[in-house]
Amino acid sequence: MSAANEQASRFDPGFAREFYALENGEYAKLCMQCGLCAVTCASREFMDLPPRKLFKLVQAGDKEAVLQSQTPWLCTSCMTCTVRCPRGIPIIDVMHGLKYFLIQQGSKAPVALMSKIFAENMLRRGRVFELALTNSFFLKAYGPVGAIPIALKMRSVGQPMLLKGRLPLKPPKKIKGLDQVHKIVKKATEVMKREGHQDGV
Amino acid sequence: MAYSFYPGCSMEATGKAYLVSLEAVSHALGLELKEIPDWNCCGATVSANAIGDLPQLAMTARNLALAEPAGNDIVVGCSSCYLNMAWANEKFKTDARFRSQVSEALGAAGLKYEGGLRVRHLIDVLVNDIGLDNLKARTIKPLAGMKIACYSGCQTVRAIRRRDFDNVEYPVMLSRIVEALGATPVPFPAAARCCGGSQQFTRVELIHELTGYVLETAAKNGAEAIVTPCPMCHMNTDVYQAEINRVKGTNYYLPVFFLTQLIGLAFDLKPKDLGFSFNVVSPDKLFAKHNIKN
Amino acid sequence: MDKKIGFFICTGCGIGEALDVAALCKVATKEGKAPSCKQHPFLCGQEGLEFIKKDIAEGVNTVVIAGCSSRMNYDVFDFGPEVIVERINFREQVVWCHPANDEDTQMTAEDYIRMAMAKLKTLELPEPFVPEDVSKDVLVVGGGLTGLTAALEVAEAGYRAVLVEKESNLGGYTAAFYKQAPSRPPYTDLEPNEVPAKVQAVTDNPNIKVYTSAVVEKIEGGPGKFDVTIKTAGGSAGERVGAVILATGAKPFDPTPLENFGYGKYPDVITQAQMEELAAKGKITRPSDGKPVQRVAFIQCVGSRDKEHLPYCSAACCVESLKQAAYLKELNPEAQAYVFYKDLRATGKYEHFYKRLQDLGTVFVKGETSAIKIEQSGGQLVVQGEDVILREKVNLPVDLVVLANGMVPTTAGEENILNLAYRQGPELPILKYGFPDSHFICFPYETRRTGVYAAGSVRAPMHVPAAVEDATGAALKAIQVVESVSRGAAVHPRSGDLSFPEFFMQRCTQCKRCTEECPFGAINEDEKGNPLPEPTRCRRCGTCMGACPERIISFKNYSVPMIGNMAKAIEVPEEDEEKPRILVFACENDAIPALDMAGLQRMQYSNWVRIIPVRCLGSLNLVWIADAMSKGIDGVLLLGCKHGDDYQCHFVKGSELAGIRLSKVSETLDRLGLESERVQIQEVSIMDYDQIPGIIDRFAARLDELGPNPMKGF
Repeated sequence: MSAANEQASRFDPGFAREFYALENGEYAKLCMQCGLCAVTCASREFMDLPPRKLFKLVQAGDKEAVLQSQTPWLCTSCMTCTVRCPRGIPIIDVMHGLKYFLIQQGSKAPVALMSKIFAENMLRRGRVFELALTNSFFLKAYGPVGAIPIALKMRSVGQPMLLKGRLPLKPPKKIKGLDQVHKIVKKATEVMKREGHQDGV
Repeated sequence: MAYSFYPGCSMEATGKAYLVSLEAVSHALGLELKEIPDWNCCGATVSANAIGDLPQLAMTARNLALAEPAGNDIVVGCSSCYLNMAWANEKFKTDARFRSQVSEALGAAGLKYEGGLRVRHLIDVLVNDIGLDNLKARTIKPLAGMKIACYSGCQTVRAIRRRDFDNVEYPVMLSRIVEALGATPVPFPAAARCCGGSQQFTRVELIHELTGYVLETAAKNGAEAIVTPCPMCHMNTDVYQAEINRVKGTNYYLPVFFLTQLIGLAFDLKPKDLGFSFNVVSPDKLFAKHNIKN
Repeated sequence: MDKKIGFFICTGCGIGEALDVAALCKVATKEGKAPSCKQHPFLCGQEGLEFIKKDIAEGVNTVVIAGCSSRMNYDVFDFGPEVIVERINFREQVVWCHPANDEDTQMTAEDYIRMAMAKLKTLELPEPFVPEDVSKDVLVVGGGLTGLTAALEVAEAGYRAVLVEKESNLGGYTAAFYKQAPSRPPYTDLEPNEVPAKVQAVTDNPNIKVYTSAVVEKIEGGPGKFDVTIKTAGGSAGERVGAVILATGAKPFDPTPLENFGYGKYPDVITQAQMEELAAKGKITRPSDGKPVQRVAFIQCVGSRDKEHLPYCSAACCVESLKQAAYLKELNPEAQAYVFYKDLRATGKYEHFYKRLQDLGTVFVKGETSAIKIEQSGGQLVVQGEDVILREKVNLPVDLVVLANGMVPTTAGEENILNLAYRQGPELPILKYGFPDSHFICFPYETRRTGVYAAGSVRAPMHVPAAVEDATGAALKAIQVVESVSRGAAVHPRSGDLSFPEFFMQRCTQCKRCTEECPFGAINEDEKGNPLPEPTRCRRCGTCMGACPERIISFKNYSVPMIGNMAKAIEVPEEDEEKPRILVFACENDAIPALDMAGLQRMQYSNWVRIIPVRCLGSLNLVWIADAMSKGIDGVLLLGCKHGDDYQCHFVKGSELAGIRLSKVSETLDRLGLESERVQIQEVSIMDYDQIPGIIDRFAARLDELGPNPMKGF
């Protein structure tokens, strides 16, 4: 019976249900394993699991494999898979939902860090200050000392950016309605938590 | 023709050349672009990861609410901003549940959106409102003989999922504009391929591979330059070109223009008004070849 | 009929520019003895038609039109039943496929005139055979979903239906369904079973005569006059009907021999039909202990797509399992369904239903289901299989296993169903896996017994809406045949043809070749072996005509001498002129359209060829080849339809028969010192038009190598 029990948890709908409860997570149910996303994705060579396989593991209830996958972090939101999916699964939105969940769980992935820094930066003035975005990311990712060699390595990119004036040194002005933005985000977060996920079908 | 205009954060910084040249071109075309007052960042492609999809779209809806009193179509130049704004707008109009959720969030800030606006990409406005004939008629110095890879970018044509203004698989409108300006669009299968987006700091190899593929495809098809309407595509193909050459051992020389820079050239506007100073891959050699004074 | 010929050449579509029309007129009048030859630039136009009609008004009763293919404008050039119309194809088969203003092209056109005029010598207007006491009633055998639908469709179209059902109640297999899979937008919701309502509608319909607990004992006669003997519980009844629809459906495959599934061994392993019975109680409980079920495994392809059992896909089981998984969830929202499948075949609108089941959280496990093993230990059923997508073994404890056992057509059994009094046997010929033969490319209901149509899951495995559609189609075919027979006309593909074979019995040698080879069983025979034609069964293919060694079978407008005269009318140049001739006998159904298509595409091929359309290669009489060879024609090419299991021939085995006959002629040719290679057979479908130039030119090149026919000039 032990093998059978393990298998029972393998196909246990418990984790699948949790996943479907994520924002846009419910769409993962609809994957029929055609694999169009896998052959479509521009980042597929970098992924450990194509979206198809990720969704299959969700359906099979394999929590560990899903949560450890690098796939969501490699999604560039180009939407090619989303427009091609014959089941109409908005794959980028599912990935957003998954990444949101992982970030809430304390993910240390670089994109998690970048996403948080971006959001903080954006919510500070209502607009993004790109130079600060870059700097805080490197400082937070590699520490004040570790960032230096990285910055040197990226010289061929950073230097012309600064020289050509593409990274203004002055931050944008804080918008007048920043308070409105905060209120909207706060309320929308409440709504999201209250109502759970979007409709699947 | 009057429009509400959403520049977005990139146009004010890394994509400054876009904003500068758009101002010059819209002036020449009599396009009246009124910036949405006190607009906020749309969240680009990453903030939803941190704050959630609904909050990000609700935040974007604030811009829609601010633009609604003017009653004009909203023009967006940046593809990522366009993606968020057009999708928020589309969803607001077609998904009752989303509409009530977003309205509740806007309500918390004393705002309201009725869903009365259209969100348009700049390309859409140029082709469908201004018209190709008009662009052609206004062209003083046709870019004859200039072979261009028309890189629409991925998000430009996929905002409203399957029902956007151009073909989601192989966009053609940018090429039509380029043709109207007298230049020659080369066959470019990477027209809607991803450049790697915002993974420059988080996974730079993605940029090397993906943007590398875009550059390779352009070069292979005989392009002398790339044109794009997307600040992110521009950033990766222009700023990262040297780095990609270094990493991949290639030696691409492909100046990358914002669409409006190219239009400005054809309209014979002053080059200094078109922001070429922001271009990292210098277009000087290309201009010399085609007798264009910079 | 005394023929008064009007000969017209249309010079439109490039014909006038490519050919010397005046010279052609000379051939028509001098050699062809046409009283006159007129030309017009646009014969199919209003003015052109008036031009022809003026001559008809003045007594012309045989109109020869040299212009486009007879497949074009056939409705335009229809001058009523009293006027013979003969078409010469100058367009698709001369000027569009050969160079303009070329000596050889001109010779081709001239030959076609000679051939048409030769053909007219023996061609007569057909006199239709209309049997007495034609019945337009339709017999429907089988009272399940398909039979009920067919009977209702027949009745609603204003005809009388006779429905015979073996069981005491109407309804068949699907009558017991608890629910029905979605048939209406948005194709996601279960629907009540529509069969009981259909049973009621049939029972209430005054145009439908129902026999239950009854079987067909005998069917004699042919379309329009089938005499049916029905054996009932109380005795027997007779009905005369015009057409028959076979709708006896299929039986569920018995999974007992597949021991790995444990059917029959474990009471909680059940079939789809048993699941319907369980659900009908309103609560799904285990047969073993009556406890409610939480976890149910559905195993697809039990027996189906399995070489050892049912090699085919049973088509309905995937959707039926989806349906059962849906009502499992409906009856118990906490229940979990697992579907083990090879490929989920929920096609068409069922895609939405499949999606709905995914949305309900059904777990789908893809793998080789025939390798699944079901075991029970400690009272717990366990499904052992493999998930090929996860690439891992599965051991899944469940409460109930439902086997999607496929379907076996009722025709696969030993017992007779139709009991046809046909020389070829009492039942429809079986094509494969016990399913009766049907013309699946063009008309699925068409069988090799004219007027007998198979529909529903007896014809092919199918699900509910497909069976309904099938029943409707078969009902329409049945109505078509009774209407055609009442006018003496053929059904598809020679729809409307009023000719029928006539036998010159004095010379019959009772060789039985015609009775054996007729694909439709249209010729019975008496004790002595004399053919007894049943004209209403005939499809006018002429296979009997091709088969007859004594050449005693002919049609008024199609006969051995007629085609022979055409072949003999071809002018064969002397050897030293180096103008070889190739005679092509081309099947009208596919080869002629392919040749026309090649012309439409302006594909060029050798202008040594002269083409004679034949109704079917089965009608090919060997004497034509002998005539052609002795005339000095260098080669004969036979173009017919594909044969075999995936035949596309409407007359089933025409090219096969021609091939067999040809193998006999080869020996003779070789004996005469003529290379048997000079006669070749090729199978082409309409889609192969692009191959036409290659086929012809390769043959021409080979003949060039062989050198001229030594019989030339003799």
